[in-house]
Amino acid sequence: MSQPPVEHRVPASRPGGFPLKSTPVPLLEIRDLSVGFETNRGLVRPVNNVSLSIYPGQTVALVGESGCGKSVTSLSILRLIPQPPGRVLGGEILLQGRDLLALSEREMRSVRGKDIAMIFQEPMTSLNPVYTIGDQIAEAVTLHQGVSQRAAYTIAEEALNDVGISDAHRRLHEYPHQMSGGMRQRVMIAMALSCKPKLLIADEPTTALDVTIQAQILELLRKLQRERGMSILLITHDLGVVAENADAVGVMYASRIVEFATVEDLFDRPQHPYTEGLFRSVPKLGTTVDRLETIPGMVPNPMHFPNGCKFHPRCARTRQCAAAVEAGNAVFPAGANIPKEVAPAKDGEGATFAVLKKCATVEPALREVQGGHWAACHVIENFDAAPVTVPRLDHRREVVPATVEGDALVT
Amino acid sequence: MSIDPTALAVEGSFAPADDRASQAPSRSLIRQAYHDTLSSVGARIGLAWLFLLLFFAVFAPFLANSHPYAAKINGKWSFPAFTFLTPSDVLLLVAVAVAATLFFWRRFTFLQSIGILSGILLIAAVPVRHWVKPPDVDVLERYRDYQAQGEIQHAIYAPIPYSPQDRLRDQPDARLRPPSRKHWAGTDTNGADVFSMLLHASRIALSIGFLATAISLVIGIIYGAVMGYFVGVTDLIAMRIIEIVDSIPTLFLLIAITAFIEKRNIYVLMAVIGAISWTGYARFIRAEFFTIRKLDYVQAAVAAGLPKRIILFRHMLANALTPILVSSTFGVASAILYESILSFLGIGLVDEASWGVLLQQARAGGAGFVWWIALFPGAAIFLTVFAYNLVGEAIRDALDPKLRKRD
Amino acid sequence: MASYILRRVLLMFPTLIGVTLVVFFVMAWTPGGIGASLISNEQGMRPAERKAMEAYYRKRYGLNDHYYVQYLRWLNSVSPIGFKTSGQGFPEAWRFGLKPPDLGEAFATHRRVSEMLKDAIPITLLLECLSLPLIYGIAISTGIAAARARGKLVDVGLGFTLIGLFSLPSIWIGVLMIGFLCNDSYVHLFPSNGLHDMRSDAMTFLPNLSGGHFTRGWMLDMAWHLCLPVICLSYSGFAFLSRLQRGALLESLGQDYVRTARAKGLAERVVVFRHAFRNSLMPLITVSANILPGLIGGSIIVETIFGIQGMGKLTIDAVNSRDREVLMAVTLIASILQLFGNLISDLTYAVADPRVSYVD
Repeated sequence: MSQPPVEHRVPASRPGGFPLKSTPVPLLEIRDLSVGFETNRGLVRPVNNVSLSIYPGQTVALVGESGCGKSVTSLSILRLIPQPPGRVLGGEILLQGRDLLALSEREMRSVRGKDIAMIFQEPMTSLNPVYTIGDQIAEAVTLHQGVSQRAAYTIAEEALNDVGISDAHRRLHEYPHQMSGGMRQRVMIAMALSCKPKLLIADEPTTALDVTIQAQILELLRKLQRERGMSILLITHDLGVVAENADAVGVMYASRIVEFATVEDLFDRPQHPYTEGLFRSVPKLGTTVDRLETIPGMVPNPMHFPNGCKFHPRCARTRQCAAAVEAGNAVFPAGANIPKEVAPAKDGEGATFAVLKKCATVEPALREVQGGHWAACHVIENFDAAPVTVPRLDHRREVVPATVEGDALVT
Repeated sequence: MSIDPTALAVEGSFAPADDRASQAPSRSLIRQAYHDTLSSVGARIGLAWLFLLLFFAVFAPFLANSHPYAAKINGKWSFPAFTFLTPSDVLLLVAVAVAATLFFWRRFTFLQSIGILSGILLIAAVPVRHWVKPPDVDVLERYRDYQAQGEIQHAIYAPIPYSPQDRLRDQPDARLRPPSRKHWAGTDTNGADVFSMLLHASRIALSIGFLATAISLVIGIIYGAVMGYFVGVTDLIAMRIIEIVDSIPTLFLLIAITAFIEKRNIYVLMAVIGAISWTGYARFIRAEFFTIRKLDYVQAAVAAGLPKRIILFRHMLANALTPILVSSTFGVASAILYESILSFLGIGLVDEASWGVLLQQARAGGAGFVWWIALFPGAAIFLTVFAYNLVGEAIRDALDPKLRKRD
Repeated sequence: MASYILRRVLLMFPTLIGVTLVVFFVMAWTPGGIGASLISNEQGMRPAERKAMEAYYRKRYGLNDHYYVQYLRWLNSVSPIGFKTSGQGFPEAWRFGLKPPDLGEAFATHRRVSEMLKDAIPITLLLECLSLPLIYGIAISTGIAAARARGKLVDVGLGFTLIGLFSLPSIWIGVLMIGFLCNDSYVHLFPSNGLHDMRSDAMTFLPNLSGGHFTRGWMLDMAWHLCLPVICLSYSGFAFLSRLQRGALLESLGQDYVRTARAKGLAERVVVFRHAFRNSLMPLITVSANILPGLIGGSIIVETIFGIQGMGKLTIDAVNSRDREVLMAVTLIASILQLFGNLISDLTYAVADPRVSYVD
């Protein structure tokens, strides 16, 4: 990884955290969303029963390895899944109470770009090579704001200024290939924000960029969020980015959300073994380890997910418990309602070991295991007694003066 | 100039796609592609026609022949159809028998099979040339005369009892008869049976298609490999030569060359068509070499001290052969088309009746428009070209990862 | 840009010399050769007369010299700069300088080749200019329709039909058209030969209805004569381009910028026609370099079948009479067209795709 070692604790403060009165209604709420793709080998389900909510002004991060379904989730919010072969199998996506999945295509188009805008991972290919920057930004502006071409260009110029592009007037007439990757991502942001959306979906906005540019882009997003009060759904696989930016975090694994909590909660008290594994596999500043831990095995292919908990073939926790059961010691968390049976499982390399039978057969639901902390794992204290609720966290990080050590890295 | 426009140029209508070059098709990909190809309806129809054509070509002397398979003349059995087989007929039969055996036995790999086949043919050629000697005089209406005179007691005839050269001189008004039960596709201006001519002409079409393409493949691959391997001055000069050949419209060059050759037979046409349509393959192989040179693992292998020559050629073969075979399917189609166009324009085959020659007869045969002479040979050309294009399309779709449905 | 064009044009000269060299020596070396083209057509000559005639023409056209001398002489006479008789061209007094290019005299008809071309080229260009917009218009519209209906019956059916059209030999279609549509025994809808009716010289230019009697007029008459040849010339090109357009559009519809355009809230129509379509034109522009020369090749067939006295017919006549000079001239012109086709397609590419620039 090109990422330098970063302290993966939540910084005590977030530069420019922004004060907003709590509103009881989430801006966007996803309930039980499932998405399928028809392939010539049957139906594949890259997203299963995903629930999530985003409050105004909040940044919610969706973390997970590639192929876990986070991008499909974000695309299905805008209904941009190619259909066919893609198809929403069930669930609701409520934008301020309006179900996006029930809208007509025409109504949906007025949501896209205006209420919800999106920026993508690949700034190099996400801009149309044959039109100028100005044309491409003005296109969205004329569409959603009903202004003249000339006014749209003025707005586009402002938008470019806002994202920190100098000499915006000249840049309007340039083509994407005349710009660097970081510049293009700024243009993408300018384009997305030109119509003042309420929600910005940022699908791995910095993955394709150099590390220094990454920091600049994220800082830019924070600044714009602070100024405009919009919400951000941040799709990423980078825990550093999450720690720096998110208010609430959903961890996705193999098509499902396996843990959802505030960023502090998640980093301080991870509940799901997958989340724990993720944290152990990134280096921590100031500590010395001989070698980093990895999660054994590989991300399962959506064509053949394992039965039961989809993480069980790679799960250290269930292995430990199974080993303890076989050795005659019970180490279960209190209240865990798990039959003490053991089943064999195979990891990615084909090595056999024992796991708890329940993990191998019953898929755990996402339950609120503590107040404001959701997780989906049988081997958690009182898991079965915890209620199944829609994850909602009207939480934003504390507002602190912008002079913090983290700033040094950013600017 | 930021992009070299020659790099963007597409050669003719069957340009191999360069972007596929970087991934070597793995064995399972090839197997998958084979399956996808066979599951395409178009490819099945195309293959069915081509196999039918192959059957016609191989067994033409047994399907359409004026001589009976067996005849009892004045109490003595003879087998005229077999006595009149030429050495090449026999060799063709041997080749098909061996090929079928090798295919169903499934004992050898593809390359081994080809080796065995050519070996057997080379060995068989000597005795066949020595022993198979058809009679010099071939009076095609002889057995019909015998029959008329009642000298034949028993005779077994081919399904179409007319050879293509049989002008039915014994039958007074046999010329330009429309299709009937006796002549399935009518007769031509000379009185010959059109269906029989069509059957025998399938040999010409198939062999010109195959061999012309083989010639252009050999030239193209060697030329391209030389260009790609010896970069620099060789490449520069060779590339100019390719540009020169490419700046002459193919049909013009073809016409200009064939027109000045007096003795035009099937081999001359094969050679000329093959010698003209190789530039696309050469460009592709060259591009392949240039791509491979840049690949990390090739550079790594070179850095590790393996001989560069071997690495380059091995990877070139692995990467380029499949796409080039795909585009050669289209090459076969256009070679067949070129032959028929040349023959149609009167500068193709002289003393053999190919489909194009027949079609020309329909236009300029002196008898005005004769629909059965126009319709059937043209349809045969069309179906064959169509079949090759369908099969080529299907293989290309199957091999193109971009068109694959996502798994 | 100007310097780029100039460089490309200058580079054409060595290529053209190479082309003519190849064609000339191919003709010279093939069995039969150039000399054999001189058998004159006049009948009833005694062998001695014939021989004398042949010797005369061999001398007149310089065929007794070595091939490379013949080629160099031909090259010199074609080139606008070269050796000349003093008293003409520029500078007048010199033996070397600018001069009008001369394509020579046809062996078989003894006419100036340039005059023959002057009659033939406009006819072929007319056919081409009618076919090109037809080809591109139909190809692009059907290509888009197929791509938008991807995987549906329309797309599959269209794909099958187009491969079929592409495989249809125009020699067959031409013969069938003449046989069935221009024939009193079947349907006589169209004229079968040439570009004009025999009486067309007496016609008015536009159609008129004077005296309650409709006359076609010269223009409509020509249009009527052109119908079948143009169809015959266009269909396979349009089938090929249509499939290309479909593939290109599908490819650009899968690109990231199309997703961006959709995420902006643009209507599907706008996404397809503004964002995907323009990018999908690039492959079409690339092959356009081969379309014009391809049409010239096709015109050989079409003009032969429909008896039109264009460049293609000229070529075939030259081939049948083994007329080297005409064949060289026609090849030269076809190659020039091909080279300009390449240049124009590269320039169009630069206009259509801002990433490509020839300014250096």
